[in-house]
Amino acid sequence: MSKKIFLDYKRCIGCKACEVACEMTHGEARIRVFEFPDLFTVPFNCRHCEKAPCMNVCPTGALFRDEDGAVAFDPLKCIGCLMCAVACPFGVPKLDEENKIMDKCDLCADRRAEGLLPACVSACPTEALKFGEINEILWNREGKVVANLKGSAEKGEGEKAYLVL
Amino acid sequence: MAEKLVPVVCPWCSVGCRFYAVSVNGYIRRIEFDYDHPTVNRGKLCPKGVASYQFINSSKRLKKPLKRVGEKGEGKFEEISWSEAYRIIAEKIKEIKETYGPEAIAFLGSEKITFEENYLVHKLSKAIGTNHLDFPGRYCQYSNAPARTAVFGSAPATNPFEDVAKAELIVIWGHNPAETAPVFFGQYIEKAVLDNGAEMVVIDPRETRGHKYASIHLKPYPGTDLAIALAMLNVVISEELYDKEFVNERTTGFEELKEAVKEYTPEWAEKISGVPAEDIRKVARLIATKRMALLVNEGLNQHVNGFEFALALANLIAITGNIGKEGVWSGVFPGAQCGFCAAMSGIAPNKLPTGKLVTDEAARAELERLWGFKIPDWVGLDLTSMIREMGNKIKMMYIVGGNIAKSAPNSRWVQEQLKKLDFLVVQDIFLTETAKYADIVLPAAAWFEKTGTAISAERRVQRTYKAANPPGEAKPDWLILVELAKELGLGEYFKYEHPDEILREINSVIPMFKGATPEYLTEHPEGCFFPCTEPGEGTKVLFKKGFKTADGKAHLQPVKWREPPEMPDEEYPLWLTNFRQVGHWHTGTMSFESPSLKKRWPEEYVMINPKDAEKYGIKSGDLVKVETRRGSVLVRAEVTEHVREGVIAMPNHWNINVLTLEVTHEKTKMAELKAVAARVRKVEE
Repeated sequence: MSKKIFLDYKRCIGCKACEVACEMTHGEARIRVFEFPDLFTVPFNCRHCEKAPCMNVCPTGALFRDEDGAVAFDPLKCIGCLMCAVACPFGVPKLDEENKIMDKCDLCADRRAEGLLPACVSACPTEALKFGEINEILWNREGKVVANLKGSAEKGEGEKAYLVL
Repeated sequence: MAEKLVPVVCPWCSVGCRFYAVSVNGYIRRIEFDYDHPTVNRGKLCPKGVASYQFINSSKRLKKPLKRVGEKGEGKFEEISWSEAYRIIAEKIKEIKETYGPEAIAFLGSEKITFEENYLVHKLSKAIGTNHLDFPGRYCQYSNAPARTAVFGSAPATNPFEDVAKAELIVIWGHNPAETAPVFFGQYIEKAVLDNGAEMVVIDPRETRGHKYASIHLKPYPGTDLAIALAMLNVVISEELYDKEFVNERTTGFEELKEAVKEYTPEWAEKISGVPAEDIRKVARLIATKRMALLVNEGLNQHVNGFEFALALANLIAITGNIGKEGVWSGVFPGAQCGFCAAMSGIAPNKLPTGKLVTDEAARAELERLWGFKIPDWVGLDLTSMIREMGNKIKMMYIVGGNIAKSAPNSRWVQEQLKKLDFLVVQDIFLTETAKYADIVLPAAAWFEKTGTAISAERRVQRTYKAANPPGEAKPDWLILVELAKELGLGEYFKYEHPDEILREINSVIPMFKGATPEYLTEHPEGCFFPCTEPGEGTKVLFKKGFKTADGKAHLQPVKWREPPEMPDEEYPLWLTNFRQVGHWHTGTMSFESPSLKKRWPEEYVMINPKDAEKYGIKSGDLVKVETRRGSVLVRAEVTEHVREGVIAMPNHWNINVLTLEVTHEKTKMAELKAVAARVRKVEE
């Protein structure tokens, strides 16, 4: 059972509520909305990989997997060696220059402990960010696509399917 | 040091989002999302909502009453005590009343203060004896509101937001809710399109964030939308696509309308607007055949011909039967969380708080009985006319929470006019551009520092609560007004010790809000929909049976084409329009003081189409001078396909109104804020 943030990027309108919510919670935004000239926007944060390369290379054990499956982070153990940043295929861990340690998304461990959603997900006005059991989210998504296809088939010829994808 | 979660309504746009202000010892530390109640926002917030604790804690907040010591506009003040401030203001009011009469004094209410506070601004202005009363909302919904009132007898939204999600067609016309109301966009519009299969049409000279869902995008020149709306009426009528049963049973004036629009073919509209005739036909046919949510805003309102445009749209809504049922939506969409608080407490030069006219003798007598003092019977001046008459008919102004030195059209002119006043009082949370011209500045409590009532765009009346202490000696606006009234010898009419007492008076004075009692709103955080004549959820869908007109029918209005007051010419060849950014609000008095917003949306710029940019030798990042007949501003250029050729566009939070035009519509008094003739050239650095 692995809880993740799923990015339904087609719903994103680039409002950056996620960034501001993350900044309010962690001091520095660990999620960023990338904007392209064609108005396409995609919010991106740590993927919390199932086989996380960052965890494999962390020499101090500062990175660990918590009970929800998040790749969490113990700042007291971190030495700021950047190995996690080197190993991460997405460039997610960043250097916190003030505290001389790394900084990355922990899916709001403190908020989850209180039964709250990660701040970015709480805020996201369009539900482009969804948090939960990842396969449950994906089964819901698949179910909706199939229901849409059925609906358009019933409408008959000439009616194009509308898809969430 | 326990954290306290205080329920509040969001202080920015009019969606009416709820959340908690997290307060520690009277200081707001952060916000928390409200996933506990059936809120309109379903817990969600936009970046402004999340950051809304920041400006409250700004070090630039006003903490003491100020008296001007420098030149007007210079910004030099000395701190004085509240008692001295009240004494100076009261003496000045008395002096001006004695010398020129109360009609030399004008008041402005505000879309940023509570319903109760607007009611008190209104009551105080009448108690002093003036009907020169307006608010900056004059530049907001005052095209669509009077037009809808003429046709349907009432302007507000017909349906709750949930009906937008149920519509078959979403038409977004001169509105950018993906940036101006992201929670509304995400929770209702996107759901209609992505989850419920609705079709979306966008009509806007720019491409914006929400447009990716649209199947058709019409790009008219700014200020020419009226031509398109007239052509759509022409198509719907000539192709007999209108709802005949609805037209017969629920409207009057169809034949006159038919006659009025018969010349306005889509080909005619194409010449004026630059939108292909075939696209106009396509959209007209969709509107006639699908259940429509018609979402319009400042791209409609902020034009001198906005009234005629709004009339044409109201006609279109009526003849296609897109009103008075579920699954449709249309109405005004105030820019601020409390636009309706001012409008519904009658903040206007011709109204009583009951919504009746000041010239209505019986209505006045009824209010005089409730209030206990004489009410002036003359129609006052609208905001632009007040500015025009400063130093002439208007000698003194009392402005609560408004920044007209920046938000009114042709700012340089407004600033010169402000200098001509004998006496100006500004009551605000920051030393705004307008406050710099004041003789006395009064420090007000901000939104989270007081309890009161807000009214959202879907007519939802909600309570918001005090979560923090105001800084220094700042006080809630309602308390300042009560204390000033006392100083003026009007204390007997202003005996309030808590906003609840003001709301109870509103319950008894304004029939539409009789059921919105402090008790009901406290027990029901989701609020009620006005008209709420009894405690309960109120009226969710309007006009199911009759309209608010005298005969209960929609009065179709014949409309004619009307040119914008200024059109591009050889000297000023481009159309200049403007837009709101998701991270900022109004003139930036609050959002510029929110570090998380300011750093993401740092400065103004001008959008220019690559073809125009090439013509003028401009590249992205160049410093350019944008100029109109009123003035000029220096900004960076952004060369982009997202604005159509012939049009340049700037965000409206900085200096745009140096460029706009103070010409107003003869009836609505709306100025030309969205379409003026401009030129642009590169500046050597």
